[in-house]
Amino acid sequence: MHVRRFRRTSASRPATLTRTSRATGASASSTSSASTPARPRTGLDQLTQAAPVVEAHDLARRFGERVALDGVSLTVDSGEIAALLGPNGAGKTTLVRVLTGLVKPDAGSARLLGVDTWECPRELRARMGLVPSGDRSLYLRISGVENLVFFGRLHGMSRREATARAWELLELVGLEDAGRLRSAFYSHGMQKRLSIARALLTEPSVLLIDEATHDLDPEGAALMRELVRGLADEGAAVVWATQRIEEIRGFADEVTLLREGKAAFQGTVSQLVALSVPRRYVLRLRNGRMSGRELEPVLREAVASRATIAAADGGDADDFLLHLEADAVLGDVLSSLTAGGVDVLGCREERSEIENAYLNLAGSGE
Amino acid sequence: MTTGAHLTGELRKLPAFVRRDFIVAWSYRLPFVGDWVGLALQAFMFYFVGLMVDPAKLPSFGGTPTTYMEFVAVGIAISAFLTLALGRVAIGMQQEQFAGTLESLLMTPTSPATIQLGSVVYDLIYIPIRTAVFLVVIALAFGLDFHASGLVPALVVLLVFIPFVWGLGVASAGATLTFRRGSGLVGLGSTVLVLFSGAFYPLDVLPGWVASIAELNPITIAVDGMREPLLAGTGWEGVGRAVAILVPLSAISLTLGVYAFRAALRRERRQGTLGLY
Repeated sequence: MHVRRFRRTSASRPATLTRTSRATGASASSTSSASTPARPRTGLDQLTQAAPVVEAHDLARRFGERVALDGVSLTVDSGEIAALLGPNGAGKTTLVRVLTGLVKPDAGSARLLGVDTWECPRELRARMGLVPSGDRSLYLRISGVENLVFFGRLHGMSRREATARAWELLELVGLEDAGRLRSAFYSHGMQKRLSIARALLTEPSVLLIDEATHDLDPEGAALMRELVRGLADEGAAVVWATQRIEEIRGFADEVTLLREGKAAFQGTVSQLVALSVPRRYVLRLRNGRMSGRELEPVLREAVASRATIAAADGGDADDFLLHLEADAVLGDVLSSLTAGGVDVLGCREERSEIENAYLNLAGSGE
Repeated sequence: MTTGAHLTGELRKLPAFVRRDFIVAWSYRLPFVGDWVGLALQAFMFYFVGLMVDPAKLPSFGGTPTTYMEFVAVGIAISAFLTLALGRVAIGMQQEQFAGTLESLLMTPTSPATIQLGSVVYDLIYIPIRTAVFLVVIALAFGLDFHASGLVPALVVLLVFIPFVWGLGVASAGATLTFRRGSGLVGLGSTVLVLFSGAFYPLDVLPGWVASIAELNPITIAVDGMREPLLAGTGWEGVGRAVAILVPLSAISLTLGVYAFRAALRRERRQGTLGLY
C-alpha cells in the first residue's frame, strides 16, 4: 500500500490548524477550515496564562537506588522549543513524565500554565499534548481514524467533530490513505505519526514530545520538526526529548543536556556548540604513490609530538585520523605535513561541533 | 463547570468506549462465537447430568416441583455472569496497562472513574444481555417451564446485582494494578462464591453450618432471587428480599471498590510505575 509522506507546505504548517489566543481566547488564526471543530472550552481559559508556560524547579526523583532526576529546573515560554538532550537513562523520559503529572517528583515542583502538574486537573490535561516514547500507546485492533476519534471524544468532542478532526490530522501527518487500516498494520514510523496526530487533537498549549523522531526516516523526522516548529510559532510551548543531537540545531531554542539525572548544560544551541573543543580530525592526505599504513611513518615524523596520526579505520586509503595534543594548533600541524611533502587534500572534524559538546558534557567524549 | 454538567460530560464519553470495545470484540470473531458455543455446550452437559438427578431431591419453588435443568439454568446464567463480569472488570484496566494505553487515557481530561467504567462498560452491557438471551434460548431449546411474568423481576435482580459484581471487580482491578498478578485470585474468589451459592446444587446437600454461611452469600441471594419469579411465578413478591439485601450490598461493594481502585491508581502514579506491568 502506498502511504503518502507528510504534506509539505510552503507555510510549513497545516492550513487547518487553528490556535486560540492565550490571552483573549479569541481565534488568532485566519487559516482555519470551516470544518475544524472548536477546541473544547475548559476552565483554564478563564485563568491567567502564566509565563513561562512550563516551569520546573529543582526536580528530584529516584526509582529505588537509581537517581532519575537530581535538581533539574526547566522553563519554557510560549512559542519556544526546549530540547531535552541526553543518553539513555539520563532522565529525559522521567522529566517528561513528571511534567505530564504521571510521575510525582520526590522533591521540587513542576507547573504547566501555572498549575501544579501533580494535581493535573482535567482543564490542564485538555491543554497538553503528549507523544510518549515507544509505540505502545495506541489501540492496535482498531483503525487509525478510530483511534483518533476515540481520544477526541475523551477530549469532549462530539462524534462528528472528532471524526472531522481525525481526518484533518491524518492528512496533516500523511496517513489519510491509511486511516481506515487497523493500526496494528502500521509501521513504527506510521504509529509514531498517529501518536503525534493524537497529541494535536485539541491544539495543545503545551506539547511534550518524547523521542518523536526515533522511528522516522530522515525525511519524516525533518517534516515532523517542521510541523512542531510551526506549532511553536503559533504559540505552543514545546518540550522535545531526544537522543538525536543533530536534530536540535536550527530547531530548538533552548537545550537542557541531562546526564545521570542532572542538568549538565542549559542554554542555547549556540552556547552548547561554543563548548565544543574539537581535537580529532579526519585528514585526506597523499604523498606520491604512498598511501594508508605505508605513509604513516612519514606522517608521524612530520607531526612529531604535537599529535598522533594513523590511517583511519574503515575509511579510504587516503584518510587519516589526527588527534591533537592539548597545546597543539591544527594550523601548525598541517603546515608541518605540507613541509614534509604531504599533500593535504582535505580536513574535517571527526565529529560535528555539537556532537563534541554533547559527548564532552554527557561524559562519553574523549 | 457544575457537577451536573461535568457528570453529563463524562457520561457522554462512555459510548466511545462501547464503540471501541465492540470493534475490538468483533475483530476477534472466533472467540466471540466460541463464547456462545461454549455456553451451549455447558447447557447440554447439565442437561445430561440432569437426566441422572432425581427431581424429588430438588427444592420446589412455590410448591411447583422443578427439573434439574430448570433449577440449574439460573445458576449457569448467574455463575457465567459473575465469572465473566468479575474477570473482565478486574482485568479491564490491566489490559490498558498491558497495551500501554493507560497513560494515554489518563492524559485526557477524563476522570479515572470514567476510564475505569469505560474500560468495562461494553462488558457490563453485553454480559447481562448474553445472560438474558441464554436463559431465553435454553428455556425454548429444552422446554423449560419458566414463568413469563418472572422475566422482568428476575432481570431487576440481575440489574441490582451488577453493581455488587462491579464493586468486587473494581477492587480486584486496584489489586491487580498494585500487585500486577491478581487474575488468579479473582478466579479463585469467584469460584468459591459460586461453589457455595447453590447455583448448581441445593444448599441442603452441604453440611449444616456451611449451608448457613452460604445463605448469606450474595450470589445465593441473587440466584434465589431470580429463581423465585422464574420458577415459582411469584412475580415481584418473590424478589423483594433479594433486592432489599442486594441494593445496600451493591452500594457498599461499589463504594469500597472505587475507593480501593483510586488509592491504587494514586499509588502507582506517585511511584511512577503506572506504565509497568
